[in-house]
Order: sequence, then structure tokens, then C-alpha cells
Amino acid sequence: MPPDRRSPDRLTIDVSVLPDTVFGHRGLVWWGTVGFMAIEGTTLAIAAAAYLYLRTNAAEWPPRPTANPDLLIPTITLAVLLLKLIPYGLAERAAKRFDLAGVRRWLVIGSAVGLLALVLRWFDLQALNVRWDTNAYGSGVWLALVAHTSLMATDVLESAVLTAIFFTDRVQPRHFSDVEDTAIYERFLSVAWLLLYLLVFLGPRVL
Amino acid sequence: MPASIPPLPAAEPADVREVRELARTWADASGLRGWLTTVDHKRIAKRYVMTAFAFFALGGIDALIMRTQLLRPENQLVGPDRYNQLFTVHGTNMMFLFAVPVMLAMGLYMVPLLVGARNVAFPRLNALGYWVYLFGGILLWVALLSDTGPDTGWFSYVPLSGPEFSPGKRVDVWAQMITFTEISGLISAVEIIVTALKCRAPGMTLGRMPIFVWAMLVTAFMVIPSLSMIATASQMLAMDRLVGTHFFNVAEGGDPLLWQHFFWWFGHPEVYIIFIPATGFISALLPAFTRRPVFGHNAVVLSSIATAFLGFGVWVHHMFATGILQLASSFFTATSIMITIPTAVQIFCWIVTIWTGRLQFTTSFLFILGFFVTFIIGGLTGVMLASVPFDQQVHDSYFVVAHLHYVLLGGGAFPLFAAIYYWFPKWTGRMLSERMGKLHFALWLVGVNLTFFPMHLLGLDGMPRRVYTYPDGMGWTGNNQLATAGAYVIALSVLAFVGNVLWSARRGVRAGDDPWVSDSLEWGTSSPPPPYNFARPPVVQGRAPLWDRTPDAPVVVGLATDRREILVTTAMDAEPDHRHPDPEPTIWPFVAAIAVSVFFIALMFTPWAVVFGSALLFPPLVAWGWPRRPNQAPGVTTPAEGGA
Ligand code: HEM
Ligand SMILES: [Cu+2]
Repeated sequence: MPPDRRSPDRLTIDVSVLPDTVFGHRGLVWWGTVGFMAIEGTTLAIAAAAYLYLRTNAAEWPPRPTANPDLLIPTITLAVLLLKLIPYGLAERAAKRFDLAGVRRWLVIGSAVGLLALVLRWFDLQALNVRWDTNAYGSGVWLALVAHTSLMATDVLESAVLTAIFFTDRVQPRHFSDVEDTAIYERFLSVAWLLLYLLVFLGPRVL
Repeated sequence: MPASIPPLPAAEPADVREVRELARTWADASGLRGWLTTVDHKRIAKRYVMTAFAFFALGGIDALIMRTQLLRPENQLVGPDRYNQLFTVHGTNMMFLFAVPVMLAMGLYMVPLLVGARNVAFPRLNALGYWVYLFGGILLWVALLSDTGPDTGWFSYVPLSGPEFSPGKRVDVWAQMITFTEISGLISAVEIIVTALKCRAPGMTLGRMPIFVWAMLVTAFMVIPSLSMIATASQMLAMDRLVGTHFFNVAEGGDPLLWQHFFWWFGHPEVYIIFIPATGFISALLPAFTRRPVFGHNAVVLSSIATAFLGFGVWVHHMFATGILQLASSFFTATSIMITIPTAVQIFCWIVTIWTGRLQFTTSFLFILGFFVTFIIGGLTGVMLASVPFDQQVHDSYFVVAHLHYVLLGGGAFPLFAAIYYWFPKWTGRMLSERMGKLHFALWLVGVNLTFFPMHLLGLDGMPRRVYTYPDGMGWTGNNQLATAGAYVIALSVLAFVGNVLWSARRGVRAGDDPWVSDSLEWGTSSPPPPYNFARPPVVQGRAPLWDRTPDAPVVVGLATDRREILVTTAMDAEPDHRHPDPEPTIWPFVAAIAVSVFFIALMFTPWAVVFGSALLFPPLVAWGWPRRPNQAPGVTTPAEGGA
């Protein structure tokens, strides 16, 4: 290699003119969020796979004398989880405008709805009508619910912390971009639940 | 993006003042505080590698005890119960605490340097990953020393590992250790993916990305599904044992085969998680020792990707003896044989590279040659095992032990040693001794073959694996003695290596920045690299950035020197996209890892650990992410941002 001689026609790329806050897939945090969604999505898919595998071993589903799960409360929970996407979607829009008041408002509402869903989830567990240690069917449905619930609980806490940051004087532009990533994660959680709901609550009626 | 930036008059190289400021900005605190709080990927990865080698040594001592026990028939050195713990902890340790972490750690050290980045994408998370790994490893070894070592084999098959046949805490240790290490592995995977895709130096398009980085990227993409699988499966096992679920309990509708499916859907890809980084080492090293680029760059990259996909479609070949459907057996035989195709393509590309190169017979290169011999033997016995009738014959015999060590040592350890000899000067600024290195290599090559070749014959002669002793008169004694002698030769070889590292780290010949006159970016900065890696992000003009560099290469200026800032580029074309603040050192990942450990260890005893463990974990996580007070009031800052 010849030594690196500086020649007068070298180009200079000045990156100081580039932004330091970006949204969506340009940002690192977005990629990290997607990475963790992939990990958690796999985990939920494994729970679903375990459920379906165990199904093939049983003559009846749920095995007698276990009753079908109830539908009322779980359907309400599902609706709440899907409705939650509205405030988060609005928070995301406000964040992209750097509208502090809007972000605050919609994050508070979103977190509150998330908390409500978590409370309802407790009743979803009752609605299963089976204990985890009754039979393999019970183990399967509890695994799916507990796996998703632990993600929900973590998410409620995280979302609460992000909301809290927006009420301090420590907000930085990058937090607005975090709001968008949170909104994306909320979509993942709700859609994942939609699929698990179909499997766990409607599955026994059709499988 | 560069198109929209007008060319400016020539800039000077990073000047002394700039470099001094960078050094101040990126410095760690001194002493213990700096040691616990660092978020420098190099310090953390070096720690990972040293810890992994420490576990390798412990696992080796464990193996020596086993081999000594098997030296002669009816030996009484260790009894059956202790032997069960020894082989289980040896296998578990070598796979989960040595081979996978060491490969990912090599990636965590080298990927940022090879792509011209200042750090990994999420430095604090990276620190968390290390501490969690360390504590998980300690758990396993403390358990073994206190006679609570897992004893159901490294794949812990149910029902043996279930609540009925394995009361006590031994298997719980295994299940929780898995969770620790898999969390750490998953974190490393996310780091590697995002660093490779978003932190590449300007000009390093995907087409110019080094093969080693491709290998680590592909590996990281395999880690996500496979390690998630084993982490979930091991929790299912733990729940069967702790709270009475029935996933694997036939009596209540569960199924032991479900465990085998889950385990091997992770377990086979795991072999490639070890092997693909090793192929990356070979591709990274060959140019320096053959003085030419790797032949068939694209073919090698595509082969890695193909291997990764096929790697998830062969797991049932571990289950041929379970009475699986005939059709399924044939299918998985076919995929298992098919997966040799991409590997063969890579091997042929390397052979052409070597054939047409000007060779330099360094220790590093010798280890690559050793890889060819050893790995090919392991690969051939693998093709034999893929055939169902043959597998039925030697299943659970020493033939399998021979096969798996040829694959793992040939396909993992040989390239790893080659890589250590190659990159040691980059890490320390000093060369490893070539004379000691050649001794290390010779002993290693002899030792490995002496230990494991006779095991093929033992297996064919019907000696089962996992037996603590054997009767006289079976015709097994001679080959066992050879194998044991070989194990001691391996031990000598490892001692030579350790001695070499310790001596050379202090006394070795000074390396200079680029002792091998290599082609890739890591050699474009000082050895060892400064905490910020590169004073200015390099600009890449070809696949061999240092060889292809022209005197009028553009320079990147304008990255902050008074605060930690990194350059983020676009995923495909690596065009400069934005600047991103890199986090400061912090103690919270360490504290969080302690909380995680308390959580998981308590979970071996009570399900309520979920509640108080989370409560314990919450404060450090909040403290970790809690922002510092900025200079401006909220709402006033409108970032200088164009449209998204
Ligand atoms: C360095 C020298 C090594 C020696 C002398 C050695 C020796 C042994 C021995 C004696 C066994 C027990 C065989 C039995 O009783 O069935 C064993 C099992 C095993 N070894 Fe090694 N080993 C070495 C390195 C490694 C490495 C580097 C790895 C992985 C990367 C590894 C992975 C395994 C596995 C997975 C098992 C199976 C454990 C089980 O049956 O559950 N070994 N090894
Ligand atoms: Cu396999």
C-alpha cells in the first residue's frame, strides 16, 4: 500500500449537517425494538406450537372433563387491547410533530388503557376454566397466556416510565422517536394477542 | 446522502487536539469503577473471550477426570453419580458457556472494527449480556462443586430430567443456566445485527461487507429463533418440575418427544452458530496468509445463508431412534445430506484461494490447515450418521462422541485458535510467539486425533457413551488408553497456549498497527485500538478497504469529539444518515444483572420469584434509561431534522 498521501482534491463528507433525531427504520432504537419483537414473537410462536403439538396427542380438545374457556371477558380484553392502538397511534403522530402536549396526553391515556387490559387479563386467566396443572391442555393455554401477559406487564411499566419522562424537564428530542418505537411495539403486542386469542379461546371450539 | 453534501476543500487528518478530546470523551473511569461501568465493546468482548476460555479450561479439567476414570476397566476414581454430573456439566459448559459465547464475543469485538464503527449499537445492553452470562456460568460450576451439578446429559431428555426421575435441584440448575446464557446470546445477536446493518462506515455497501461480518450476521439471525426456542423449552421443563405443568408428562397428555423436537430444533442450528463464525474467521484470515482476496466471495456468502436456512430443517436426524415415521426419516436424511453442499462450496472456494495464493505458514495458517483435516473427518462421519440404518447401529455409542468432537473441535476450536493468533496483535499491540504457537499447534493436532480417533473404533465395537466404566475383556481397553493419553496431550497443548498468551501479552514482539499487511478495516487503526476505535469514520472504496484505498479517498468530518457520538448509515448502501449519541458508562447493567440472577436463582425454589424478582429488576432498569438533564427546556428543542 502506498502511504496515504493527502491530495488537494480529496472530498470531505461533513456529517455535522446530518440530523441527530430520526424516526422509523432510520434509527437504531427502531432496529433494536424490531430485534426484540422478533425474539418475543418467536417465544409466543413456540408457545402456540407447543399447544398445537399437544393437541395432536389428545382425542378431545379440551380433554374431558375440562370445559371450554369462556368468551365474554377475553373478548372484552381483546377489544381493549386493540383499542389501545388508537391513543398510541395518536401519540406517535404527535411525536412526529414534536407536539409535547399531545404526546403527554396520548401517552397517559395509552398507559391507562394498558393498565386496564392488564387488570382484565387477570379475569382472562379465570375464564380459561382450567388450571395449569390439570392436564397438558391446561399447561398449554396457561403458557400462552402467561408468556403474553409478562410482555404486557413489562410494556405497561416501560410505557409508564416513558410517560413519566415526558413530564420532567429531561425530555430530549430522541424521546419523541422512542414514542414511535413504543407505538410500533404496541401494535406487535396487540396483533400477537389477536392470534393467541383465536388459538386459545376459539381453538378448543374448532380444533 | 453524500450526493447532497457539497464537496468541501480538503480537510486535514484528525488533528492532535481532536484526538486528545476524543480520548478524554471516550475514556472510562479508572480502576474498579471503570471496570464495572465500561460500555466499550472491546473491553466487554475481551472479557467475554477470557471468561469463555476459563470455562473451556474448567470443562477440560472435567474431561481429563472423565478420561482418567476410563483409563482402565473397573476404575474407581469417580463413581457413576459423579460421572453423570461430570459429562453433563462438561457438555453443557462446552456448548453454552464456551463455544457459542466465544464465537459471539469474537463478533462483538471484531464486527464494529471491521465495519469501521465506534462501538456496538447498544453498548449498555452489551454490558448486561456479559454480566448475565458470567453469573449463569458461575451458577453451573458452583452447583457442580457442591454436588448439585446437572446429571441428565447436556440435552436433558425427559422423562429422565422430569420431576419424577430427577428430584432435587440438579436439573433446575441446568434449566436456569440455559436461561441466563440464552439471554446473553440473544442480546449479542441483536447487537451484531444492528451494528452490521446500521453502523457500517460510509461506502461499505452490503456487497462490500466483509465475509466475516456476513458470517456473524447470519449467525445472529440463527441465534434469534434457536436460542429463543431453548430458553422457552427450558422454562417449560422448569415449570413441569416446579409448578406441576404437564408439557412432557404422558400421563396427563404431555409428550416427551415434544422436548426432543424443541431441543434439537435449537440444538442442530447451534452447531452452525458455532461453525458459521468459524467459517467467517477462515475467510477473514485467508487473504492475509495467501496474499489474495478469497475466491468466490459471493458464493461463500450465499453458502452461509443457505446453511443457515437448511440448518433449521435437519433436527429430526437426532431422533431417528425414537420410532419416527419412515417418511420423516427419509426426508430428514435427505436434508441432512443436502446441508453438506453449501459447506462443500465454501471449502472448495478456500482451497482455490490457498491453491492460487502466496502462502505464509504462520501458526494461524497452520490452524486453518488443521481445520480442513479435522473438520472433514467430522463431516464425513456426519454423512454416515445421516443414514438411518447406520445411525440405529451406533446411536448413543462412542462413535457419536468421536463425531461430535471432530465437528466441534475441527469446525470450532481450530479456526478459533487461528483467529486468536491473527487478532491478538490487534487486541494487545503484541504478537503471540510463533515458536510457542507452533508447539501449541503440533500438540493440539496430535492430541485431538489421538483422543477422538480411537473413539470411532470404540463406538463401532459397541462401547456406549455416558458410561462411567466398562468391564475387562470387552476389547475396549487399548483404545481407551490411547484416548486418555490424547487428552493429556491436549492438556499440554492448552498449557502451551495459555503460557504463550500470558508471556506474549507482556513480552511479545511489538506488532505495529498492521503486522500482517491485511486488507480489512480493523487494521486501519492503531493496535490496540483507542476506545473510540477510529478518530474519523473511514470511507470504504472496495471489498478490501485497506488494499483498495486510493490516496484521494474522501474523509468524514463533523462527528462530535466533545461527546460520544456515532455515525449511523443506511442499511443497504451505508450512506451517512444521521448522528446518534452513544451512551456513557454506567453501573446499572451490572446491578440489573445481579437482580436478574437473584430472580432466576430464586425461581428454582418458588414461582413467587416472578413477582419479587420483577420488583427487584425494575429500579435498575429505570435508572438505566432515565435521561440526564438536558441544557434546554422541553418543547423548545426542535431538532435540525429534515423529513423522515
Ligand atoms: C478439549 C478436549 C475435550 C475432551 C478431552 C473431551 C472429552 C469428552 C468426554 C470424555 C466426554 C464424555 C463422553 C461420554 O461419557 O459419553 C465428552 C462429552 C461431550 N463433549 Fe467433550 N471433550 C473435549 C472438548 C469438547 C469441546 C470443545 C466441546 C464443545 C464445543 C465438547 C462437547 C461435548 C459434548 C456436547 C459432550 C456430550 C455430553 C453428554 O453426553 O451429555 N467437548 N467430551
Ligand atoms: Cu444435527
